[in-house]
Amino acid sequence: MSHGRDGPGSGAEAQASAPADFEASVLALMPALRRYSRSLARSDSDGEDLLQDCVERVLARRSQWRGVNLRAWAFTIMTNLYRNHHRRQTQHPEVELEDCLAAEETSADPIQGRRLERALDRLSAENRSVLMLVVIEGYRYQDVAEMLAIPIGTVMSRLSRSRRQLAEAMKEDNVISLRRPK
Amino acid sequence: MTDGFNTVSEDELHAYVDGHLSEPERERIEAWLKAHPAEAEEVRQWQAQAAALKQHFADYARSDAGDRALLNAHGQVRATPASAAGPALRRVAAALLIFVAGAFTGAYAPRLVAPIDPRASSTDIDSLSEQAQSAFLVYASEVRHPVEVGADQQAHLATWLGKRLDYDLKLPDLSTLGFSLVGGRLIPVNGAAGAMLMYEDATGRRLTVLLGRNPQNRETSFRIASHAGVETFYWIDREIGYAVTGEVARHLLQKVAEECYRQFEGTSAS
Repeated sequence: MSHGRDGPGSGAEAQASAPADFEASVLALMPALRRYSRSLARSDSDGEDLLQDCVERVLARRSQWRGVNLRAWAFTIMTNLYRNHHRRQTQHPEVELEDCLAAEETSADPIQGRRLERALDRLSAENRSVLMLVVIEGYRYQDVAEMLAIPIGTVMSRLSRSRRQLAEAMKEDNVISLRRPK
Repeated sequence: MTDGFNTVSEDELHAYVDGHLSEPERERIEAWLKAHPAEAEEVRQWQAQAAALKQHFADYARSDAGDRALLNAHGQVRATPASAAGPALRRVAAALLIFVAGAFTGAYAPRLVAPIDPRASSTDIDSLSEQAQSAFLVYASEVRHPVEVGADQQAHLATWLGKRLDYDLKLPDLSTLGFSLVGGRLIPVNGAAGAMLMYEDATGRRLTVLLGRNPQNRETSFRIASHAGVETFYWIDREIGYAVTGEVARHLLQKVAEECYRQFEGTSAS
């Protein structure tokens, strides 16, 4: 079946042919990259670290960029870096307190936002990146499959698993907070 | 869509939530959901999740005063990313490496003192894949210092590791498969000096190739071990055990393993 035709992300939003334009194009992508890095990371500071590593990598590899869809290329690099980071994070899962507090303020409902972050932290790196690319970054399933070099069926199963696990985790979290004494 | 009115796949429900459907398709799903309250409730949850996620991270889609400086900083040193790290950072990394090496020695020290037992030979090759997976997990996650000697010093790397392994080491060229050498490091394998080579594709996916001495001096077929998405192909060819590890599709890793085998075989024949 076809997965729709009107997804946003696939457009080449930052095309740069001349090398001089390259850094300007990356600069224009910074807001999107910052949001994606934060949506993958456990904290604000982890998100900024990931963003910096990604920018460093994108600039170091500019000669390997094939000249189409810089945004998708940068997102792919970010996703791979994130998976590399994540292996280390699972060995050291502590999150600094200030980071949690900072993240809280960005959500309309701080408690809800924190529950959401906790639930997201239970997703695997693979599932989380697919969820964010689809839901927040608006990529179509076929685009995600190409970006991550996985079959579209894998994209669908990761998306499905993410959505179910997230719903489950939010539910469990709810049960715990109801038990809390007043 | 050619299917009847009453069949809707889960993929279509996701496409519905994500707004990837045409108007007639949407209407068909909506009619179906009215008749299927359990699925309708799940779809409602997914929609609420999506809205919460978008809202939660929306504020991060911003430029930052430091962005331009960040680009300029990395724009100038792009040829050698490792040199971007300050000396202090490198000292910390060096200390960490010593610590990690210590941890490895500790973990594998029993093998160092264990007597060579014919029954142990099957566990030796299995432990090769375990060691390869540990090395991959530890070093592939290293952003700044994944290797001791970088690909810019290939000749030195091959001589140095070859000497420690007592083996005419030729570094496999995996460029036909899209992977280029990041570098290598000395690493304990079965309690003796071994070598780890790291490769990376253009998008940053990493693979490691581990080589260790094999005291039994025998040959095995290709074997595969898989743990939590990390795949390892490994084999023993007379005095050396090899293991290729990565978090990539098995068929790709197999190609890499075959390519390594082919190139290493060329080495030992010469």
